Amino acid sequence: MKRALLPVITFVRIDVKRLFRDKVAIFFVFVFPLIFLLIFGTIFSGDNGVSFRVAVLNQSDAEFSRTFTEEIKNNKIFEVDKDISNLDQAYAKMNRGQLDATIVLPSGFGSVAEGNYPVGQAKVLYDQNNQQAGQTLSSILEGIFKQKNQVFVPAETPLTVVAESTATKGLTQFDYTFSGILGFTLLSLGIFGPTTVFPRLKQRGVLRRYHMTTLKVWQYFVGNVLSNAVVGILAIALMFVAAVLVFDLNMRGDYLSLLAVTVLGTILMFGIGLALGGWAKNENQAAPMAQLVTLPMMFLSGVFFPTFLMPELLQSITRFIPLTPIIDSMRMVVTEGRTLFELGPQMAIIVGWLIIIYALAFKVFRWE
Amino acid sequence: MSNIVEVTNLTKIYAGKKVVKDISFGVKKGEIFGILGPNGAGKTTTLEMIETIRSIDGGTATLAGYDVATDPEKIKQLIGVQPQTPSFEEKTKLTELIQFFASAYGERVDPMKFLEDVQLADKASSYPEQLSGGQRQRFSIAVSLVHNPEVFFLDEPTTGLDPQARRNLWDLIRAVRDRGVTVVMTTHYMDEAELLCDRVAVMDNGRIVAIDSPKNLIRALLKKGFKKKIHVEQANLEDVFIDLTGKALRD
Repeated sequence: MKRALLPVITFVRIDVKRLFRDKVAIFFVFVFPLIFLLIFGTIFSGDNGVSFRVAVLNQSDAEFSRTFTEEIKNNKIFEVDKDISNLDQAYAKMNRGQLDATIVLPSGFGSVAEGNYPVGQAKVLYDQNNQQAGQTLSSILEGIFKQKNQVFVPAETPLTVVAESTATKGLTQFDYTFSGILGFTLLSLGIFGPTTVFPRLKQRGVLRRYHMTTLKVWQYFVGNVLSNAVVGILAIALMFVAAVLVFDLNMRGDYLSLLAVTVLGTILMFGIGLALGGWAKNENQAAPMAQLVTLPMMFLSGVFFPTFLMPELLQSITRFIPLTPIIDSMRMVVTEGRTLFELGPQMAIIVGWLIIIYALAFKVFRWE
Repeated sequence: MSNIVEVTNLTKIYAGKKVVKDISFGVKKGEIFGILGPNGAGKTTTLEMIETIRSIDGGTATLAGYDVATDPEKIKQLIGVQPQTPSFEEKTKLTELIQFFASAYGERVDPMKFLEDVQLADKASSYPEQLSGGQRQRFSIAVSLVHNPEVFFLDEPTTGLDPQARRNLWDLIRAVRDRGVTVVMTTHYMDEAELLCDRVAVMDNGRIVAIDSPKNLIRALLKKGFKKKIHVEQANLEDVFIDLTGKALRD
């Protein structure tokens, strides 16, 4: 047995070193997923709050109008475009959808009248296509004015509304998206790697040379799987560190469960790549197959948007796509703090696929 | 001397066409046996059938008493193979490749010893893609011998090498034979066969048309009354080339 494992261990040791000598491989394995994480993380992070892109045109020289303009600029709800100084510019940007609305404080707005308090009427301009934003913005302004009016002219308010968020756990959008990004990384590492590498090795006759020795297919498989698992764990760990440092990821589960899911996920995804790359005679055969297998997983397994947004019927199918239980498990560990033992249905699907895919990979593998 | 390789009526069929036709020959233990012939004569296919990586469509081949068709694992343990164009994984040190190939046979070796045998000790930390053609052939020989095989197969080992590298490789092949390893090689260079091989089989169109020592084959031809039209000089251009540039390796 020891002799049988010698080539496996030797292969893993050499193969991992080989990866770190290859700049292109390092980019695809470590740098590319990080870039992906930074881009998607930036899109999906931020404080969940709604904000409006607006322009403020203050045409009044009243003191109140000036301070009110400043107030809007400092309010988090508004993202004020400071480049706009006249209506034409505002119209142009609203037309292109770069602005949600324009707030106009007309001449004389905020001038002090007889009651010793400022009066005036602000105008909200919005594009036909942006009615919702325009109307919401009007209500917000109205609310702000109501508060101010209360100060100037106190009045009874018998009926009021208070809004409260239920996100008591404090999960951010990023926490949720992160598992999808991890899943995508496992997918691309597991499938795009072997479907390019194996056909290339075959064409160069490298695998044929192995076939001339007493090396067994299973030894070569296990060696590849293990070295890929090592690399996969490193890549995921790196992304984890980046997610915690840059995006304040809230990790609720235990790291051991996450490690277990990562290892299983890496082996499963690599199995798919191994089956395709091991079967294909050349890259022309492998590339389209890789796309064919990857695309559905990318869009139906919850990488880019949650599966619960899909129609029920579709969900009952997508649940069984290999990547879905991996992403679901990761999400449950990271955001819900579940342990491996509470992921029964997901583990069952993963193990089922592992058996099917590796049996297939073993059957279709060819050395040349 | 007894035959270590015994080939009887060996046949290979590709797409309904016989490319190796009922050939029979034996290789004696400890000799350098050459298989000569033009491209497409069936040399490589014959070798690959004995090496167990091509299926045998007719006849039998045995090596050290083991049947190639029924006992491929045992055969692989007994043979070393030098393919026509040796190719290795890139970004891998020569020492690592030797360790890996040895491990495939379940063995741990000192890679430097094998690199020294082929004068590549100074390249231990290089990658195969950084080697010259001759160095790569030498490295491939070292790799093929990691498990101390009894028979060493080489497929056109000197094709594409410069005269210095060819001479160096001949010395290396002789050294392997002197260690008691039987050598079976293909070539289409007649000078190489004449210098190196104890016996040769000449193949054409999938058949063996002659088999004997180079000397005997030449003698038989002369007996038939053959005469070269051109007067043979005491030296040829290659001798001039070697005289001018020396025997030292250039890579």
